[in-house]
Formats: sequence, structure tokens, C-alpha cells
Amino acid sequence: MHKCLWEGVRGPGTALSENMKKDAVIIGGGVAGAWCASELSRLGLESIIVEKDPYPGGHVAGYCCKATDKCQRCGACLLEDVLECVEKSDRITCLLRSTVTQVNRANGFFNISIFQQPLRIHPEKCNLCGKCMEICPVPGALTRLPDKNCISLNEDSCIFFKDGSCQACADACPEGAVDLKVPAGETQVDARAIILACGFKAFDPREKPRFGYGLIPGVITGLELDSILRGGNFDPGEGEKKIKSVAFIQCVGSRDPKIGRNYCSRVCCGYALRLAGLLGDRFPGIQPAIFYMDIQSFDRDFERRFEAIRRKMRLIRAIPGEVRNGTDGRPELIYRGPGEERIVESFDLVVLSVGISPDPSLGALAELLGVNTNEDGFLGRGGDEVFTDTSGVFVAGAIQGPKSIEETVSHAIRTAGAVESYVKEHYRGENQ
Amino acid sequence: MKVPVLESIFLNPSPVPQTRDFRRVLVLGGDESARELGERLKREGHEVLILGGKDRSEVSAGIALPPDTVLERVNGFVGGFEALLRSPLGHSTERVGFIVAAQPGENIPKYSDYGLARSERVMSLSDLEAMLIAGEAPAQPRGEWIHVVFLCGLEGESDPLEFERVFEAIERLRKICLVQPHLFTRHVKVAAPGLERRYRQTREEGTLFFKFDGIGPVFEEGPEGLTMIFHDPVLGYDMEIVPDLLVVDELHLPPASLKPLLDAIPSAAATTPFLQPESTRFSGVRTLKAGILALGPSRGNFGPQGIKGDIEAAVVALKTGVIEESQSWLPSAPTVDPAKCTTCLTCVRLCPHGAMSFQKRAEADSASCMRCGICAVECPMGAIKLEPVAGEADIPGKIKDGLALAHGTKKLVAFLCSRSAARAMESAGLKIRNNLTPIIVPCAGTVDPDHLLTAFREGADAVIVAGCHTGNCASLYGTILAGERSSRVRLFLEEAGINAKRLVFTTLASNTPGDFVRAVLDLEANIGE
Repeated sequence: MHKCLWEGVRGPGTALSENMKKDAVIIGGGVAGAWCASELSRLGLESIIVEKDPYPGGHVAGYCCKATDKCQRCGACLLEDVLECVEKSDRITCLLRSTVTQVNRANGFFNISIFQQPLRIHPEKCNLCGKCMEICPVPGALTRLPDKNCISLNEDSCIFFKDGSCQACADACPEGAVDLKVPAGETQVDARAIILACGFKAFDPREKPRFGYGLIPGVITGLELDSILRGGNFDPGEGEKKIKSVAFIQCVGSRDPKIGRNYCSRVCCGYALRLAGLLGDRFPGIQPAIFYMDIQSFDRDFERRFEAIRRKMRLIRAIPGEVRNGTDGRPELIYRGPGEERIVESFDLVVLSVGISPDPSLGALAELLGVNTNEDGFLGRGGDEVFTDTSGVFVAGAIQGPKSIEETVSHAIRTAGAVESYVKEHYRGENQ
Repeated sequence: MKVPVLESIFLNPSPVPQTRDFRRVLVLGGDESARELGERLKREGHEVLILGGKDRSEVSAGIALPPDTVLERVNGFVGGFEALLRSPLGHSTERVGFIVAAQPGENIPKYSDYGLARSERVMSLSDLEAMLIAGEAPAQPRGEWIHVVFLCGLEGESDPLEFERVFEAIERLRKICLVQPHLFTRHVKVAAPGLERRYRQTREEGTLFFKFDGIGPVFEEGPEGLTMIFHDPVLGYDMEIVPDLLVVDELHLPPASLKPLLDAIPSAAATTPFLQPESTRFSGVRTLKAGILALGPSRGNFGPQGIKGDIEAAVVALKTGVIEESQSWLPSAPTVDPAKCTTCLTCVRLCPHGAMSFQKRAEADSASCMRCGICAVECPMGAIKLEPVAGEADIPGKIKDGLALAHGTKKLVAFLCSRSAARAMESAGLKIRNNLTPIIVPCAGTVDPDHLLTAFREGADAVIVAGCHTGNCASLYGTILAGERSSRVRLFLEEAGINAKRLVFTTLASNTPGDFVRAVLDLEANIGE
């Protein structure tokens, strides 16, 4: 990988001393942020991505490919496309494990302080042999991020960061990829514009205990199923324990004003139907069922697609009132049939199609920047605007409201366009 | 896969432009969105020519809006399109740098889906909207209240745009008369910003929603007029409504006037009726051919924001189009040997990107060519060559070099599409396997049957060709062609008495490293010792 992606890996003494000057600081390195950076780069503008995780890609980095005999247009592979552009471009810097701590505005620039945890494990040197994880005495201090091709070190549980007494992993690594001594750093960046591209928070189904998430075995979220499939770890099992029926429950945390979600998350029908189609296709024997209120159109030419996919699954117009632990150890769904009759049906696996929620942890950042919240609680203006009420601060992707990957790409392109116009308009003729 | 039609190209060979001028933009329009786009482009310094606009009064200088003019044909390439226009005064040719399809979509009322016909009390949503805008009362009530029934996705699927229009119409109706709206549907489509909120509001204000799964209402001509008979799915008994007004929803189709643009891209037959191909690789408003952009309905985007939402994306695409043309990081476009080319036009027909031109011989337009290499493989005369990136060996050279260094008893050669399989291999960490020679190709469509045979001749025990999933290929059918060629070579191997299982073709995505590993292990297992 290109080194610009990994500026988190810095040896001692190479800390950036003077303020970097950029056209834009992009907070969030998922599809939205990376696409903004790539588009800005194509427009000749320099940007820096600030990503909190040790890998770029955000949620989409955990999504599986939904192709059956052909592409299902889920868009997950677009992430790999755009990350390659980010790597190739010399106008983009990507800081991993970094967060924005302070923003001031002076002389036409946002002055942004970025706190940067180093990547303890060099992603280019590391060949994922796993020797460090074998030798580490603390479970969970080193984790291989599911299918993200990197091993991550958790400073909170690592002994080295408590008393410095253990560096077994560094000693064991045959590639010399582990460096525990790199200090955390702080970087100052001056930027003309800020793009908020921090994405969404998946609805926590524990807020709706009636669906049994976290309480009843066999109840997972759509995101978890996606990630299991991506890692190639979906095992339908054998014999009596074999997974034969999978229920998807739609609108978990969407279309529900009682819990402050008076909007449709727009992507769940798409991902549930694609996942159900994929399961049925890849694991013959699995019969998926979708419990829904209304099936939303999620792609162009939807009617034809829907006709093709609906034959592979049961569609049941009902949101179960309760998911409970059945006597045979399988989750049981209680729902109303077409004649309002009460039906109890067991499934081997229940997948909750959790919706897209605003990320409450962004409140402080929004306040720092004076960014408004729209009526659904997302940041920036309503509709599918890219502007906020603070000039020079823009939004891209699902931070502004629910969007599919493809819609996020379109949104990010428009954000980049708006940023370019803003920079040109306000700073025409000025040199950086 | 449909076979591209060549008619318009035969009529008009178009030369590769010697100089490119990106200033002039041709916008195909029809409503106020095109003018909005025109004004936006003008601010960016473009000269704009809009066709299909009706109102000429408010256009600022620098935007031309010739009346009653239509686009008949397009030749040429980005920075040098020749647009043949027809007006009542005759034909004219305009030279433009870009062409933007920003026409509104077609709205086709679904009368026949419901077995209904237009009448005094049955009209389409567009008809109702026109009456409401004109301030006319849409129907005479039989009683004090006007009972209006909206059919919205009761037959076939609907979309959020249609529901937004219905909610808007209900709100307007409410302002001018005493109305009881009813809405009949299968699925309420609310997957658009603010639409769920509006749906709830409409319901709370008194609109009755009826959702059907199985058999929907039956329409009968009763003594009082057209009557709807149905089984109420919630109350559980049979009901009748005699609507004062029945409003039929509409099917949203791409604009009919896309034909000249579809004709300008031979491969677009595979993407019809849309101008943007199926593959998600075509992000934003991009189409198969550089310099031709598709907004809103022409790319299948029927969202409530439609063209308006795509305007900024188009502005960005024009800017990056100009900038990228001046950059030269791409490998060079294929070269054509004039001594071998017989202008059979196979390349013109098969180029997915509409990048081949021909006059005395075929020639690739470097700004439109995406370097997929399909032309080079398919040329029956072997006249086209895609040169390797400077400093790299050609494909046979890479096979030879790789196999010379390979270890192990089972030597594998893998032809990997750079967009999918190569990245899957990289993520899988399989490049460290020393029996595998990866040959990374820009598109699986570059893989020539000769390359496969070369691999076996040079000592490969097995060969794997991996392209993108069908429908995901950035060159439309590169991966399909690669699959077909692999099948042909397998037949050939069988005839030659070689185990055909030694050659496999597979499709992968960049994010499925596990599938790549499985394909390699399966192959190793299949060929035995």
C-alpha cells in the first residue's frame, strides 16, 4: 500500500513540526470521505483525511459482496476502487487512528488540531502470520480486525502501556513490524474547508428488547451477518443443527417516531433482500423469510429485480411483536397473520435489519463547528444538501441522512464540487 | 448480451479530434432543470447550448436556446463532438466538448395495468397536477365531499417520487375543496428524505391508506358510476367505493430522446433503455463514453431530487474531464497497424467505451479509451496492440519470467483483472505463494486465448482467469468475453488430450479474498498431483 495511507506510522523524530496547509480536512475515511478526497484530488485540490480507526473504509470495510450469479449492485466493491485512488494520489494524506481535538478559525483558515495514535503494527511489514497474537499474554490486546487485513493493538489492555514490562509481540515478530515505542503525536493543519464525513451509527437493537438481541441466541444484526459473510465465516452447520430457516426483520430502528426515528433508513430493504438472496443462493437448503411493513424500491429497474429475487424467499407483511427463546433452543417469532391471527414460528437464525441512526458522539464536534442538525437528527441541512449553516463546513454521505453506497458516492461527488466552488470563490488567486 | 448495432457509425465515420475544446457544452433538456444546469455551467465559464427548452425569456447571455431544435446524431469524441441538429430551418452541425442528457423522464399512466381508460372521473397524476396548477376543480362531487382515490403501485412497483407527487397533490386538493383522499397501494414507498414524515402527516390529516398483498380491488361500472369493490385487508370485510375522481399513477421511464446518444455508443445496446450502464463502476453521472453525461432519469435516477441532484455532479464531471485529459498517467491507448487493418470495424463494434473511430483505418481516441484491451484481442487481423506500461514486459514475457521463478510441483498462472481479482489476491496475501504467477491485466477482456496457451506451453500446470462478476465489469462485457474465451480454450485442450480442468474461469470481487483463495485451492486439488 502507498505510504500516504499510513502516515500514522512515523518513526520518532519525524513528527510534523509546522502546520500543514490543505484545501480541505475531511473527517472520516469511509466511502464518503475517501470519495470526497479522490474527487477533490481530481479537481486539483489537496486534502487530508482524519480517520479514527486503524484502517480506512468505515462500515463498508466490513460489508460482503452480494453477487450471486451476477452483480447485485450493492456497491461494496466501490470502496476498494476509491481507496486505490486515495493511495495513488499525491494530493491526499490519510491519517489513521486520528481524531480532531480542536478547531479555530482565523485569517480564512480553519486551524485544526489532530491527535494521532500511531499504528503500532506496520501494515506493510506485517504479513498477518499471527505470531504476535499467539505469544501475547493478554487476551484481546491484539486483535485481527475481521477481514480488514490488519492487526490492531489495544493500548488500554496491553501490558506495555501499563508498566512497560512486556514486549513479547515486538520480540516475536519476524518482520520487525511491531513498534510499541512510537509516541502519539499531534498535528496542526490549516484548511480552507472542512468536510464532515463521519457516517452513521447503526441502530442499537438493545433499545428494542422485544426483538431479543443480546438476550436470545440466534438473533444477530444485518451488519453482523454481512461481516460474517465477508470473512467467509458463515457456517450453516450440519445435521439437526443445520441452519435451514432465516428470518429478516425489517425496520428495526426505522420508521418509528416513538423512538425519534421518523424516517426510513432507505438501505435496509436493499441489504436484507440481497443478503437473503445471497444466503439462498450460496447455501441451498436455506429458506429466507422477510418480515416487513413495505418493501422499498432500492435500485433502478426495481420491479424487474424484485420479481427475480422475491421467488427465492418468503415475504411476510408483519413486524413480529416479540422474539423469544423457543423450547427447542431456536428463536421464536410471534406475529400476526393475514387474518390478524396470532402465529408463532421458529427460525434457526433471526437477522435484525437495523436502521441508520445519527451518531450521538458527533455532538461535540458539531457544536465546536457550529453545525446545525436537520429534522431527522443528522448533521447539516435537510433534503440531500451538502451544505451546513456554517460557511466552509460541508457534509458528505450518511452523516447527513440515510444513504446507500451509491447515493453516498453521488453525494460525495457533489460535496467535492461544492467545496471546490467555495475554495475558488473565496480564495481566488491566492496562493496557499 | 445484445449485439451492438452499427447503423449510425457506418453512416458517419468520425475522426479522432486533432485539438480538443471543452468550452462548449450541449445540454439536452426539457424543463427548468436544464436551464438551471445551463446557468451553473455558464458560471464555470462554459458556453451552453440547450435543446428542448420551452421558455426562452429568462436565459442569460452566453446560453443559446434554439427553438424547435432536436439532436439527430452525434459523432466524434470528448472535446470534439459533432452534433447534427435539425430545426424547421434545416440541418446544422455544432461542435461541442461535452454532451449532457438532462431531459425529464417519460411519465406513462398505468391505465391499462388496471383495465381503466381516461374519462371525466379517471385521470393520470400528471393530468391532476396540471389542473391543480391551473387552479381548476378536478371533479364534481356527488355529495358534499369529493372522494378521490389514488392508485399508487397497486399494480407493478411504484417509487418514492410517485408518492411524493401524490402527497403534494393531496395537500393542494385540501386547500381548494372538501376532499376525502384514499390511497391504494402494495408498498408505501418512503425511501427518500423527509418522505416518511410526510406520509405520516398525510395519514394523520385524514387520507385513508389501503395496502394489499394478494388480490386487489376490482373495478366495475355500477349504477352510480365506476365502483371499486375490495376486501379491506385491515377491517376484514368487503367494501365498495364510488370515487368522484380516480387518479392513476404513472410509470417512470428514461427520456425517449436518448436515442441519438445511445446510437453514438455502439455498446450502449447493452445498457438500453438507460444511458448509464448497469455496473456500479459508473459512478455519479458518468456513461460508457467519455464526455457524454447522464443526469436523473436518463441514468435511472428517478428520485425526488432527480436531475437537480445530479447537476453539481455534472459540473464536477466536466471539470475533472478537462483536467484528466491533460494528464498522462494512463498507459498509452492501443495502436493500430495500418498495414494490417482492413477496417472490418470489429473493434468499433466491440469497444465498450465508444472509443474507436475509423476513417482509412481504425484508430483509438486516447481520451475515451479505458485501456480494457478488448479491441486488441478481438481484432481478427491482429492489427491492434495494447502496449504494456513503460518498463514492464508484455504478457507473454511476464508469463515466461514468472514461471521461470516459480517453485513447487504445481505451477499456476493467474490472469487477474486489476479492478477485482488482483485486489482480492492482494488482500488474501497469496502473492507470497511461490507457485503462483499473477498476471495483472487491466480487464479480463484483455486475456487472449493465445496467452492461455502460452502459459501452458511455458510450463504452467494450471491456469486461472479471474474477472469481475457479470454486471460489475467496468468494460461492460470484458468479463463475459473472458469467460467465453476460456471455454473455447478448454474445448481445445480437451481435443489435444489435456485435462481441461487445468483451466478455470471465475468471477470475483475485490472484497472477496476468501473466494480467490478457494478458487486457487480447488484448482490445485482438481489437477491432482
